[in-house]
Amino acid sequence: MTAHDWFIEHRTAFVIRTLPPDEERNFAEHLPGCAECREEVARIERELAWLPMGVAPVSPRPGLTRELVQGALGRSRTSGRWMVPAALAASVALAAGAWIWAVAQVRGFERVVRQEHGRLTQELAMARDTLDIFRQAAMVRHATITMGEKKGGLVIFADERTHRWNVVVYGLPAPDPGHVCQFWFITDNGMVRSVEVKTGVNTPAFLTLGMPNAPGRVMGAALTVEAAGSSSPGPQGAELAHVMM
Amino acid sequence: MAPTSPPLRGSPEPSGPGDERDRRLLTVAREASLQARLIARDEQALAELVEVATPWLLGVAQAMLSDRDEAEEVVQEALTIVWRRVDLFDQESGRLLPWLLRITRNRAIDRLRSARRHLQKARRLVAHGGLGDPWTSAVEPDESARPGWHVHEAVHAALRSLPEEQREVVRLAYFEGLTHSEIASQLEIPLGTVKTRLRLAFDKLRAGLDSIRDWVL
Repeated sequence: MTAHDWFIEHRTAFVIRTLPPDEERNFAEHLPGCAECREEVARIERELAWLPMGVAPVSPRPGLTRELVQGALGRSRTSGRWMVPAALAASVALAAGAWIWAVAQVRGFERVVRQEHGRLTQELAMARDTLDIFRQAAMVRHATITMGEKKGGLVIFADERTHRWNVVVYGLPAPDPGHVCQFWFITDNGMVRSVEVKTGVNTPAFLTLGMPNAPGRVMGAALTVEAAGSSSPGPQGAELAHVMM
Repeated sequence: MAPTSPPLRGSPEPSGPGDERDRRLLTVAREASLQARLIARDEQALAELVEVATPWLLGVAQAMLSDRDEAEEVVQEALTIVWRRVDLFDQESGRLLPWLLRITRNRAIDRLRSARRHLQKARRLVAHGGLGDPWTSAVEPDESARPGWHVHEAVHAALRSLPEEQREVVRLAYFEGLTHSEIASQLEIPLGTVKTRLRLAFDKLRAGLDSIRDWVL
């Protein structure tokens, strides 16, 4: 049995996440360098796409769908988990002071808890989603960049499953006044302008990018210094990094 | 425990290939429209997605977490991600609802794999001999009219076709989020047997579900 046979044998287990954490991590680290496994994993995912629907549906409690919509929109929803402590807090307050005062306090407390919980839930969801790109990155590319005396770099984590990249630009000073750092996608149809990158020696820039809405297959990326306000379809300024995937 | 099929009252099975094609085309168009409206930040589209998807998402999360409040939180996380990131979703690589289901299941597994939750669940499984079959929940009288029921039936049929010992490991692995070694411990069988049963089961499931992979609700 070769080392690769283990990965072949455990592709489905990786997709359905039955591997223990260390083996799951080992498999994830193998993927960027193995096109065969990447393709097979993607195929298994497509084939099993509907498997979760084998579970019987659960009717939502009254009002839940409205709460979920409000929560997704950033207008926080109430979690039953937090209602219990809030209600207990209300009981203590009622016993300790005037009823009306206590009700007002509890309502205020509930509102604060609700808002804070909603905010934290959303932030956590976003953070997990971002971490997923790192975890699922099938390709990782790095380029060293020198700007003056400063040495930094560009790192791209490409998640082929969601077609998104996490991009980190670190160690680079801000460009000269009147200039900006510009990120470009390299496609087989030419360069496609993406976003400006705010650089700073001690403040790495972190971006999550989807693929450009332009014809052509994305083949890589480039970072250039452009005149501020420029909207030229292609790079005009000095190229800092050029990375092919 | 062997899963049994829910009653197929009022099954929306197509009466012929033409009906199925018509239904699929209609729903593909509807899903494309829904996604376009979500990208355009149409809150009504979000409400429609939540209405259709929530029972299935709750089913997945609750089966894995055995906690209704926590299941609702996981569903909230998944819907929030979809609302905020739908413009990054590539329709060519899959369907909207499977994407949402996958996010929900991954979130549930992440929660389950925190050491504390995992121990709790393992203890519950040992104490109660399992949590029962997630796919044998009570069926409401109008369940067959629920959007997605035809997909559920197709998946259910694929699961039902598995031998009982393979169905059991699929239930523990996929629908309750246990790892290979936890399943081996739970069923008191060798780790290699777990892996073999899962491999055989998923080979069959992949073949069985291949015909519906392009379906939509």
